Amino acid sequence: MKKLLHIVIAAGFVAGVAATAAAQAPTPEQGKEELKLQLPKPMFVGTPRNINSPNLEKVTGKSRGPFFVPAGTKLLSLNKPVTSSDTQPVIGDVAYLTDGEKSGEDGYFVELGPGKQYAQVDLKAPCQLNAVLVWHYHAQARVYRDVVVQVSDDRDFVTGVTAIFNNDHDNSSGLGIGKDKEYIETAEGKLIDPRGVRGRYVRLWSSGNTSNDMNHYVEVEIFGTPAK
Amino acid sequence: MSKRAFASLFIAVFLLGAVLRLARLDLRPMHHDEANQALKFGLLLEAGEYRYDRSDHHGPSLYYLSLPFALTLSGRSLAALSETTLRLVTASFGLGTLLLLLLFVPMMGRAAVAWGSLALAGSPAMTYFSRFYIQETILVFFLVAFLAAVWRYVRRPGWGWAAAAGLCAGMMYATKETSVIAFGAAAAAFVLARGWTNKAAGGGGHWRHLAVAAAIALGVSFLFFSSFLRNPRGFVDSILSFEIYFTRAGEGGFHVQPWHYYLGKLAFSPGHGVPFWSEGLILALALTGALAAFASRRPGPDHAPFMRFLVFYSTLAAAVYSAIPYKTPWNLLPFTIGFIMLAGSGAAALVVLPRRNAARLGVALVLAAGCLQLGLQSYRANFVFPADTRNPYVYAQTSPDFMKLVRRVEDIAALAPEGRNMLIKVVAGPYETWPLPWSLRRFGRVGYWQDAAAAGDIGRPPAIISSAEEAAKIGPALNADYQSEFYGLRPDVLLTLYVRNDLWESFLKSRAQ
Repeated sequence: MKKLLHIVIAAGFVAGVAATAAAQAPTPEQGKEELKLQLPKPMFVGTPRNINSPNLEKVTGKSRGPFFVPAGTKLLSLNKPVTSSDTQPVIGDVAYLTDGEKSGEDGYFVELGPGKQYAQVDLKAPCQLNAVLVWHYHAQARVYRDVVVQVSDDRDFVTGVTAIFNNDHDNSSGLGIGKDKEYIETAEGKLIDPRGVRGRYVRLWSSGNTSNDMNHYVEVEIFGTPAK
Repeated sequence: MSKRAFASLFIAVFLLGAVLRLARLDLRPMHHDEANQALKFGLLLEAGEYRYDRSDHHGPSLYYLSLPFALTLSGRSLAALSETTLRLVTASFGLGTLLLLLLFVPMMGRAAVAWGSLALAGSPAMTYFSRFYIQETILVFFLVAFLAAVWRYVRRPGWGWAAAAGLCAGMMYATKETSVIAFGAAAAAFVLARGWTNKAAGGGGHWRHLAVAAAIALGVSFLFFSSFLRNPRGFVDSILSFEIYFTRAGEGGFHVQPWHYYLGKLAFSPGHGVPFWSEGLILALALTGALAAFASRRPGPDHAPFMRFLVFYSTLAAAVYSAIPYKTPWNLLPFTIGFIMLAGSGAAALVVLPRRNAARLGVALVLAAGCLQLGLQSYRANFVFPADTRNPYVYAQTSPDFMKLVRRVEDIAALAPEGRNMLIKVVAGPYETWPLPWSLRRFGRVGYWQDAAAAGDIGRPPAIISSAEEAAKIGPALNADYQSEFYGLRPDVLLTLYVRNDLWESFLKSRAQ
């Protein structure tokens, strides 16, 4: 009898946990679907340590979880032309940003010069952007400084510029104070929600990192739908 | 090689070596070990206090030899001391080593010394660690001076060279207790070289000379280790330190490396996206020099005895250092200097190998281009990648990003009513604390705690610096009142800087103006 009681309690507990988990799992809104991402192999384990701070995204060590985008969203940036403020990268080529290769090993990243630099992807046509995924460098636990992502139809980013991400908390890059948090690079990349902003060009700024003054990109994936 | 050609060449090489060693000494952030040494020196500079610590820091010569540089360039204050002043000490000794090669002309010949000095001037390992405020470059300086004095004495025994050898031996020991490895390798090499040559290369020594040299060596090292007689126990402690260093050598921990670590570093290091690094030219020429030393058929007072000694010394010292599990890249200097001198001999032998002058000129040009390539690597190592992990000699180096943290603290202090007397609390373990004590030396009120529990109630100081681990403990209590920022201390090691909100707001306003 006692044994049966234990089984019933255990079954009840499992059912309760399952129901709670199901209730907490994010469900897509009407007309949205989960964005399917292909992530590279992680390059480091054990670090970073748990840092509790309001200005840094909490490092959970767990998967980011699903991200939902409007149905029909596609990867727009693959093999699209890339330019950068550093016309002669220290290492690699800016084409690496959109070549589909995301490995954290040597030979897969482009290194732009020290200080404030940008890389710019030309989607070739105005698009509605639903997700931007960025890997700066994920072979080491680093924080890239003053990460600002802008979208515009103007190649020179003089008019119609929308910032979709900005974690320059002290405006050291002069692009405005950002309220987004700093984050530690991992193999998952940084997923940015552009909230459907429209534009042809995506410009990604950074200003060195916690290991050196250089700026790196392994890959940038821009998801969206062609603007109607 | 004529005297005039040799002199011209040597002056040019010396200037090259000077540029690579002395320019932009402030470019690289202070390494953990440099900062540690700098603070230890600061105590001697400001309070005249030095006490040998047998468990760490090595010998006292670095600090005492730094005094004239600091007093001349920055005075008696630690706060006024700069990275450039400190590194000028070791850089000067690195450059001095180049000059010391002149003493070897009778034992090696002008051509070998010229080539050796060119390799030494451009060697990335030698230039990089000349610009490092630690003991190794000073040890190499006195080691080379010691070898020169011993072999000059062997050629022409007398009080002068005997006393010089004793002085240099004493300074070697006063620089690093582990100089016993170099002494052991040199003694064994001396016996082997003399045995190989059969006939002594010069006159025999006199026991009185030997006794004087030993007395001077003991006296000099005693003076330094005893803080110039104020702490006689220091000399005894230097001998007792062998137990500590012997244990450390076996344990290693983080510093354990395979036996081929040093040779591998010299031979080839991948560039990880930038051109590769190699001092293979020095190794190859050293091998050539070794072959030439044993191929020599000329008996009598030629260059072979000393070159054979160098072969034995370099090989034995490299073997001993490689056999010790505990390895740090700067420990390759005491045997690499032997390889460099051998390389000089190897290059000189290669140049005279062809019979035609045109062919000799061709060989010389190829070798000169090789040495130029070493110089270019030195340029990259010291001026382009001085703190970049792609540089093979960068080891647990402080990130350039750390200097941004220091600048930010300076910015905040400029806005705080207390200025540089504002309270700064540092909560971090010892491996995540350095080089903060050096970098914050100009601040009057800096407190250090190894963990959050020891720090107790953190209060509301203007600035708090913590390791990632401790930030997780102290952060929740601060979040509402502080702005936090992240700075890289070393690769994979982050520090958190908390700035009190009122000062942060003032800072942002000052930025906007």
